[in-house]
Amino acid sequence: MTESGTRMARLRRPSLARGILGGLAGLVIGALPLIVAAQLGTEIKPGGFLALGYIGLLLGWLAGLGTFGPWAAWALGRPVNTEDQAAAHGRGGDWTRYFRFTTDHKVIGIQYLLAFLALFLIAGVLAMVVRLELAQPGQIFATDTYNTIMSTHGTLMIFVALNTIVGGLGNYFVPLMIGARDMAFPRLNALSFWLVPPALLLILLNPLFGGFDTGWTAYPPLSRQAELGEQAFLLTFITIGISSIVSAVNFLVTVARMRTTGMSMMRLPIFVWSLLVTTAIVLVATSVVASALTMSLFDRLIGTDFFRPAAGGDPILYQHLFWFYSHPAVYVMAVPAFGAVLEVVPVFARKPLFAYRLAVLSFVAIGVLSFMVWAHHMFVSGMAEFFHIPIMISTELISVPTGIVFFSALGTIWLGRLRFATPMLWVFGFIWCFLIGGITGVYLADVPTDLVLTDTYFVVAHFHYTIVGGMIFGMFAGLTYWFPKFTGRLMSERLGKIHFWWFTLAFNASFMPMFWLGIQGMRRRIADYPAELGELNLWASVAAWMIGLSMLVFVYNFIRSWARGPLAGANPWRARTLEWQVTSPPPVENFEHLPVVSSGPYEYGALAAGPAIQPTAFSGPDGRPR
Amino acid sequence: MAFAIWAVLSVLGVAAVVGIQILPIVASREAVVVDRALVALTVVSVPVLVFVVVGMLYSAIRFRAGDDDAEGPPIHGHRRLEAGWVIGTFVMVIGLAAYGTIGLLEIRGEQLADLEVRADAKQWAWEFDYPGLGIASEELVLPVGQRIRITVISEDVVHSFSVPAFGVKQDAVPGRETQLYVTPTLTGKYGIQCAELCGLGHTRMVASVTVMEPAEFDAWVALQPPQTGD
Amino acid sequence: MTVMEHAAHGPDLDPLEERRRLVLGLRLFILSEIMLFGAFFTAYFVLRAQAPAWPPSPEFERPGLALVGLNTLILLSSSVTMQWAMTRIGRDDRAGFRRGLLATLILGAVFLGIQIFEFASNGFGISDGVFGSTFYALTGLHGAHVLTGLLLMGVVANRARLGLVSREHHTAAELVGIYWHFVDVVWVTLFVTVYVL
Repeated sequence: MTESGTRMARLRRPSLARGILGGLAGLVIGALPLIVAAQLGTEIKPGGFLALGYIGLLLGWLAGLGTFGPWAAWALGRPVNTEDQAAAHGRGGDWTRYFRFTTDHKVIGIQYLLAFLALFLIAGVLAMVVRLELAQPGQIFATDTYNTIMSTHGTLMIFVALNTIVGGLGNYFVPLMIGARDMAFPRLNALSFWLVPPALLLILLNPLFGGFDTGWTAYPPLSRQAELGEQAFLLTFITIGISSIVSAVNFLVTVARMRTTGMSMMRLPIFVWSLLVTTAIVLVATSVVASALTMSLFDRLIGTDFFRPAAGGDPILYQHLFWFYSHPAVYVMAVPAFGAVLEVVPVFARKPLFAYRLAVLSFVAIGVLSFMVWAHHMFVSGMAEFFHIPIMISTELISVPTGIVFFSALGTIWLGRLRFATPMLWVFGFIWCFLIGGITGVYLADVPTDLVLTDTYFVVAHFHYTIVGGMIFGMFAGLTYWFPKFTGRLMSERLGKIHFWWFTLAFNASFMPMFWLGIQGMRRRIADYPAELGELNLWASVAAWMIGLSMLVFVYNFIRSWARGPLAGANPWRARTLEWQVTSPPPVENFEHLPVVSSGPYEYGALAAGPAIQPTAFSGPDGRPR
Repeated sequence: MAFAIWAVLSVLGVAAVVGIQILPIVASREAVVVDRALVALTVVSVPVLVFVVVGMLYSAIRFRAGDDDAEGPPIHGHRRLEAGWVIGTFVMVIGLAAYGTIGLLEIRGEQLADLEVRADAKQWAWEFDYPGLGIASEELVLPVGQRIRITVISEDVVHSFSVPAFGVKQDAVPGRETQLYVTPTLTGKYGIQCAELCGLGHTRMVASVTVMEPAEFDAWVALQPPQTGD
Repeated sequence: MTVMEHAAHGPDLDPLEERRRLVLGLRLFILSEIMLFGAFFTAYFVLRAQAPAWPPSPEFERPGLALVGLNTLILLSSSVTMQWAMTRIGRDDRAGFRRGLLATLILGAVFLGIQIFEFASNGFGISDGVFGSTFYALTGLHGAHVLTGLLLMGVVANRARLGLVSREHHTAAELVGIYWHFVDVVWVTLFVTVYVL
């Protein structure tokens, strides 16, 4: 074939390069109608170009990646090439399969994990900059710069918290843990992931559009006034929302219908249960925030008045719709972390998970109750007063099922045979940090105390303790636990311990004083503060930079271990869940023969009960894979 | 043994916090209720915190694995302990919610006031009107010991009227009027700050409130220029 | 569809199981769509309740019920024809199925056409305060769903034309049918709350 012939052939194959070309083409095509209209003299808002251009870019990008090919073929009644399908699944593929539209859930899991870990680092750098401004009284940055940095930090971290465990570890391990070969809808799974890069690109570029200074909460009317960067935020959030909903449908159908023989609901690993509840929340709640953001977008772009008081609109309506999602969203962040932590504890205590059934029930209770508490973010908002007492009660009540997570963890640890490998250290760190987060949450649930504490650094400290202390610590526990399985190699225990202690001590040193700062009256989202708060803020900033430095240890450990760590073997932790009964990393099809399960996943301390998986199903008589 | 450690540390912890004042300044009747609630929550939190911490640390030492490969005992749960925990935590949070309800009703009090003030927020400054007295001011001045109704309004975006020393906070929402009641109990000068991100000037959107004896307050009122019509 | 899933899943996926997964998946997605409409309905209820009158301004008039009532009947009929088409394919009456599907498509298109006509003759637009915002956001969102349904029906109709839809293989038709009924139910709710009440 001629030079140009091979190039044409390469362009006909879906790829990242073609995705980028498609995205650029889509951007132009999307904006074209408005460009034409503008030339004809109609006044078009810059936001219109951004909106239509972005939608075009998104569709073009997905098309270039090959998302729509098989569906289009089906729609036109054309047969589908099974070779293309196998290639799309990643069978027989090399490292390049991570950089194209691959349907293997393990590839998608790694894609999510690495993308969001990278985002975590970027958002972390922004936090370092925020703390630079807050290290001393006075202002280094212009206020709109600071507001944009602060808002972007928050927004990126929200996305990290929502997606890292669910999209990363969840995608990778749920099919394995239930004895399935993949998710129910592998192509939708890949679509969920590939929606993310353009969205992230947009939010990372928001300074080019003028930034946004409303925080991730984007309250109107301020969000209507704000620069174009606000719109970048709205479009990004809506995109990530769509990706989440698609992902949630996938998870729920997978667990409902693809559990292997013998894997009853009450034998599911607790991590799987946590993701069931999480994805159920995502499914129900996300559309509501997408609607609120769309209304904001419409108010900015096409002249609607949902939130404009002069025309009958109501800013508090936005708050209700926003928080109706955003409160359950924090459980979307926390519950997978609970699941990861409770998954790790039995393995390193060599003891069954204590009160498994109660823990499952408590996850479900959290899921349900999480929809009944949103207005505790609005106690001083001016909403109808009759909300206050019922919401205070329901918010206090949610501590009961959340407390059971501690109960189960401590009950497993008590009388166990504890081994303090890195994952178990993160579990202990989680218990401390989430305890502080949870207790301080009660201060915010109580309306009288909330009146003084809301919108202060007390809240900032509370949610960092719950989200970092909960979600991030849980993520590190899960990541260090499952790293050997998805890479086939062991992380360095020494570096793992150094990272853990450094991160934990720095985190507590930085955020504990913020409770006191809040009580002293230091407000949130300010670029400057009274001089007498300077010393503590400097301390908090230095400690925060220490957190950042500790992450270098982690990154080094992660990369080096993946490249050159000692081989892990199938089951270095001697765990009993299904993912550990196959090779590390698992084969493309996950299992040579689908396993038959005969007992629960935490039958430690009962060697007489035999292995969890019947040997005749796929492994040799000694219980190990043939 | 672990129980004993928990009991001792809890008692010590509770004793350490029970009489303290948590808010730096308590200058109103409402702030008293808030501070009392803060202390009560802290008192209840101490045994909970100590329980988990002692449980963790004790276990980390006592149940550390030996060099053998031994597994732990095959305990899956404990019916009575589970029921006890659920019931115990449920009772605790209901108790807290009840306590919070009482405190909230006390803060809200009745719909009566001795003095009317309107706090008008706009990007990025406060203006305070006294409709009954026909004056306006950029600094808030109040008489001590009287129950003030502050009506909070906004002309543009959402702001929030916050006086930490009074233990009060209320958002200013354009298109609606929100209200708070406060009875200052300590003369002095305290800070007002906007507590809801409102744009570029949010950091600097502060003012002050001065609480005076009633006689001084009347004198101050007399000195103010009459309110210009809107 | 079966061929493609086989390659991804290996030989253990039987068509009945595949159909169950797709139907469950669609029902779950519809749940999230209900929440989407729910949010916009909530906005409508809240903003209307807080308005001094409805319409808030005397220059706006609520659309007349006659045309919209007729349109509602048209949409309801399209659900009937859709259901009839599904019964037909259940008996492997492919010609009957295609006729039913076509009828549904035409009725749906007429519905959209009448809606656009109604929008054009309304005395208010989307930027006319909360009245316009809520009205057009809700009807527009619904209209977008109708359009999507029509496109999906077109795809199924094309496949039927190519002989690819039969009693054994009509999962896509079934899914479109479920979706279409959902769209219809949303319309009835919309009609009652926004036009009638």
